[in-house]
Amino acid sequence: MSLLLGVLRDPRVITQWTLPQWNRLLRETRAQGLSARLSWILEERDLQAACPPAALTELEAQRCIAALKQAQARLELRKLHKALAPLDIPIMLLKGAAYAQAGLRVARGRDFADLDILLPRERLEAAETALETAGWISETTNRYDQRYYRRWMHELPPLHHRTRSFEVDVHHALLPLTGRLRPDPSRIWAASRSLPDAPYRIPCPEDMLLHGAAQVFQDGEIAGQLGGLLDLHQLIGELSAQSGFWERLPVRAEALQLGRPLYYALHFSRALLDTRIPPEVLRAAQAHAPGPLNNRLMDLLVPRVLEPRYPARRPARFAAWLLYLRSHWLRMPPGLLTRHLLRKALRGGKP
Amino acid sequence: MTRRQRPANRLPARQRVEYRIGPFLVHLETPIHRIVELVHWCYAETIVRAPTTTPVQFNVRVERGPLHRRWLRPQATFHLEDVSPFDPFPADHAFALLEWGLNWSIAIRAHQYLLLHAAVLERDGRALLLPATPGSGKSTLAAALALRGWRLLSDEFGLVDPHSREIHPLPRPIPLKNQSIEVIRAFSAQAQFGPVFPRTRKGDVAHLRPPGDSLRRQDEPARPAWIVFPRYRAGSPLRRAAMTQSHTFARLSQNSFNYRLLGATGFEALAHLVQSCRCWRAEYSDLKDMVAAMSQLPTAPQ
Repeated sequence: MSLLLGVLRDPRVITQWTLPQWNRLLRETRAQGLSARLSWILEERDLQAACPPAALTELEAQRCIAALKQAQARLELRKLHKALAPLDIPIMLLKGAAYAQAGLRVARGRDFADLDILLPRERLEAAETALETAGWISETTNRYDQRYYRRWMHELPPLHHRTRSFEVDVHHALLPLTGRLRPDPSRIWAASRSLPDAPYRIPCPEDMLLHGAAQVFQDGEIAGQLGGLLDLHQLIGELSAQSGFWERLPVRAEALQLGRPLYYALHFSRALLDTRIPPEVLRAAQAHAPGPLNNRLMDLLVPRVLEPRYPARRPARFAAWLLYLRSHWLRMPPGLLTRHLLRKALRGGKP
Repeated sequence: MTRRQRPANRLPARQRVEYRIGPFLVHLETPIHRIVELVHWCYAETIVRAPTTTPVQFNVRVERGPLHRRWLRPQATFHLEDVSPFDPFPADHAFALLEWGLNWSIAIRAHQYLLLHAAVLERDGRALLLPATPGSGKSTLAAALALRGWRLLSDEFGLVDPHSREIHPLPRPIPLKNQSIEVIRAFSAQAQFGPVFPRTRKGDVAHLRPPGDSLRRQDEPARPAWIVFPRYRAGSPLRRAAMTQSHTFARLSQNSFNYRLLGATGFEALAHLVQSCRCWRAEYSDLKDMVAAMSQLPTAPQ
């Protein structure tokens, strides 16, 4: 088994390790881009003294990248707020930005490529105009792409301010409009919390976890998403300390149509990262498991693409390709999917 | 076009070598035996033969290019673990490719240091920083000083430790370009050069072997004392002018590989560095004059 998974399951294993195991762990961790997060996990468990000093130095040295991204995200948020506040448009933070602003441990060392925010759908047009006036521009000028995002997706085409390179993804829903599952954004807004020290909202704890689960297992290609699974594992560990979390979670998943992604999240997080989940919650989630054939297939494919394989084994390309097809299948009805993939293939760009 | 000495009808055995470059341990794997010979020649003092107690920071490979390029203009590619950042090089330049690949590897990962793009030399425990600017002649000057009794800490990276404030050595071969090769050959009979790699991306390149003393003392850091921005200008007399701390700070912040990335840590490390140094710019055309002038730099009042 992968040593990185072993450490994430139980960090104390490192106390028994010899140098070849450390070398292998470092290679797996670098390939997954999880160095900084691992350094924080080891620190939280007070295990630094058990690491070879050079290994610890290297892991901790990567923290500055996430720290810079988080600082850039905070700046971007202040600017977004300045542009949208005069119109009284509320901003809800999603994913990494929400974890960081809520002060959750999962945000430590967590790098992110872009800033995800949710705006109320009915204010979207006004918001877009305001952002355009304030200097944000769309990253794609391709007409098909623009239409693809607007008609079928849950977000605008990525934006960035003309003086900065930081990408902003403006969402109006959690999942694509054409997808099989469509959680109602107004419910997310209704349950959201305001931050005590910043003018933004964040989803309630259950929604935060459900959105993470949907990102990995409904909207995502799963392959290469060990970081996403680690988010879920760490979120569960942290959020479940709040009283009533486990009672509310399955009910909330049902209300948002996210029972299936929650099932996968709990199932695979437990299988790969040994996450502690009460048996009754697992049983409740089991009700949303797919049919036996589908379940067997996912059990076969998902660990193959999530478990670190470098440097010992070749990447599981076929499994990744099947899951890539699945992600599109879940995103669009077959006719639309065929047209979309054909169009992308003929254009010759990256899928 | 290059012709190979023997028909390559089978893949030769892969070779592996581990060696230390300053604070880092490199593990190299390659089927190109010529590179391993050059690594042994350059890093003889720091090759790791017994099992070590520290993990490897840089697992690198230099591979032969694609099969259809094995005979006709063969190529070599550089790999840092699962990443291959550069386009292929001509196979003859594989050692230069390895050295540049290691520079890249250090620059993207060694954020435990403030990384300055500078040559660093040491005398009596005091470090002289020569920041790189285009046309500065930094490498030529560093080579000349290393051949006149200064200890070469590094030709490419000033590794500033933000905690101890010291500069860590990273002794590696100095890649000299074009006319500099002849200048240094003429400057000292002790200069040991590797093969000349003609017409690389940076012109003709030859590597000057780091002095054995530099390699043996690569765990000994030095206190920063002088910062000199050198500038080579043909026909110019030696001119040295003091620079203000704020100006030096501004120029070095532009010159660093990771100043922005390090945030407050980088700011503090750089501010302290500049405050503990005397700072000049110096223009020269005669290498001997410049080397003599560097030996007479006054130290900062402690």
